[in-house]
Amino acid sequence: MSLEILLILVVGGIAGIALLLHLTGQSARRLLTPEAARADWLRHFPDDAVIDVTVARDGHAALLRTETGPGLLWSFGADTVGRHLLDFDLIDHPKGFRIIFHDFTAPQVTLHLTEEERPHWKRLISPHD
Amino acid sequence: MTDALSFPDPTQLAIPFFVAAILIEFTWIALKHRGGRYETRDAVTSLIMGAGSVASGLVLGFIAYGFFMFLWSLTPLDLGTSLPVIALCFVLDDLRYYWVHRFGHRIRWVWASHVNHHSSQHYNLTTALRQTWTGTFTFKMVVSAPLILLGFHPALVLFCGGLNLIYQFWIHTEAIDRLPRWFEAVMNTPSHHRVHHGRNARYLDCNYAGVFIIWDKMFGTFVPEQASEKVDYGLVHNIGTFNPLRVAFHEWLSIWRDVTRPGLSLQQRLAYAFAPPGYSHDGSRDTSDRIKAKHLVRHPEDRGTPGFKGAADAGARGSVQQTL
Repeated sequence: MSLEILLILVVGGIAGIALLLHLTGQSARRLLTPEAARADWLRHFPDDAVIDVTVARDGHAALLRTETGPGLLWSFGADTVGRHLLDFDLIDHPKGFRIIFHDFTAPQVTLHLTEEERPHWKRLISPHD
Repeated sequence: MTDALSFPDPTQLAIPFFVAAILIEFTWIALKHRGGRYETRDAVTSLIMGAGSVASGLVLGFIAYGFFMFLWSLTPLDLGTSLPVIALCFVLDDLRYYWVHRFGHRIRWVWASHVNHHSSQHYNLTTALRQTWTGTFTFKMVVSAPLILLGFHPALVLFCGGLNLIYQFWIHTEAIDRLPRWFEAVMNTPSHHRVHHGRNARYLDCNYAGVFIIWDKMFGTFVPEQASEKVDYGLVHNIGTFNPLRVAFHEWLSIWRDVTRPGLSLQQRLAYAFAPPGYSHDGSRDTSDRIKAKHLVRHPEDRGTPGFKGAADAGARGSVQQTL
């Protein structure tokens, strides 16, 4: 197969499938409830004991207090990803906060929070600030 | 001895089939509302990883091929290209694949290349194409050396390897439940391979087969899919990025950071590169054996059931009981 045909097939195939999936609603992010957030956290960290869960109003992130410290769970496409809040920077963002993890596999998360939510989340994320 | 022998690259020729099969699987799921799920960015990442893998093969393929041709110049044997020889090569190459794949899960250096294939939390036909860009750097071509030295031409070995990959494409689906019993007994199937992609403690490090599941049964690594435990796809520590560069290189970077930590002995540095994934010099991380052992502490009723039968589990149980 010539390189030109290979390129057309690959680029066309990827673009076509991406368009089809997006137009049929497959880009929707997962919506979290407190119960779903707790279950998903334990799926990621089965050794943890969750004390309580705070879900953002937009439903795309949750803060969890665990016996080993706070953790953040967020929507990652149709699924979730979680990280313990151990090594990170919290930066103000027009839509809420941006968390920069010092982690190559999960570099950053933008939290969409209302004006009312922000002080509470800031206290939970950085209780000593 | 034949030097100039050429076979088509089956993986490249199969690309139109891959695209068509993905569209068929997606349509099936959309119509039936079962049999798997798709997500746009996840699928696009998988497809880009697949394209990158083909590109990587075009750019770096000469290294493996040069190594194979060097071996071919050494061997006095030439089995030719008759149909029985091609069939035998396909079977032996599948045995080669089993061991490469097993090393890929048990040696962190090789896992660094293979991890991206397991990095999706989805399991559909696009996941099959989430392939490595860095396979050349694992030196896995060494495992093919016996085939070349036995007299299988390098082009034939690569052709059989391509067919093996094409076979594995269709088993990355939830749309097919179980196949006839005789087929499930001999061949790798969607059910067997779903288990391989599981991050459940029960399903870690099993079902390494490419085409024939008999290798797992022979070498004690077979775990059947359990109706009582749905497969949870992805990595033990799932990644939070769709960026293909991060997907491709994250474990290599992690190895580099671990190996260059200050204050480690040479043995510990080597273990960070070549011990099973999850090794840590201070016990702060979990290998799959330790994850299984911890699971058994939480769920003792699972002891002795599929996925929790190995001698390694018994050994690791002791170490967990000491550390918990």
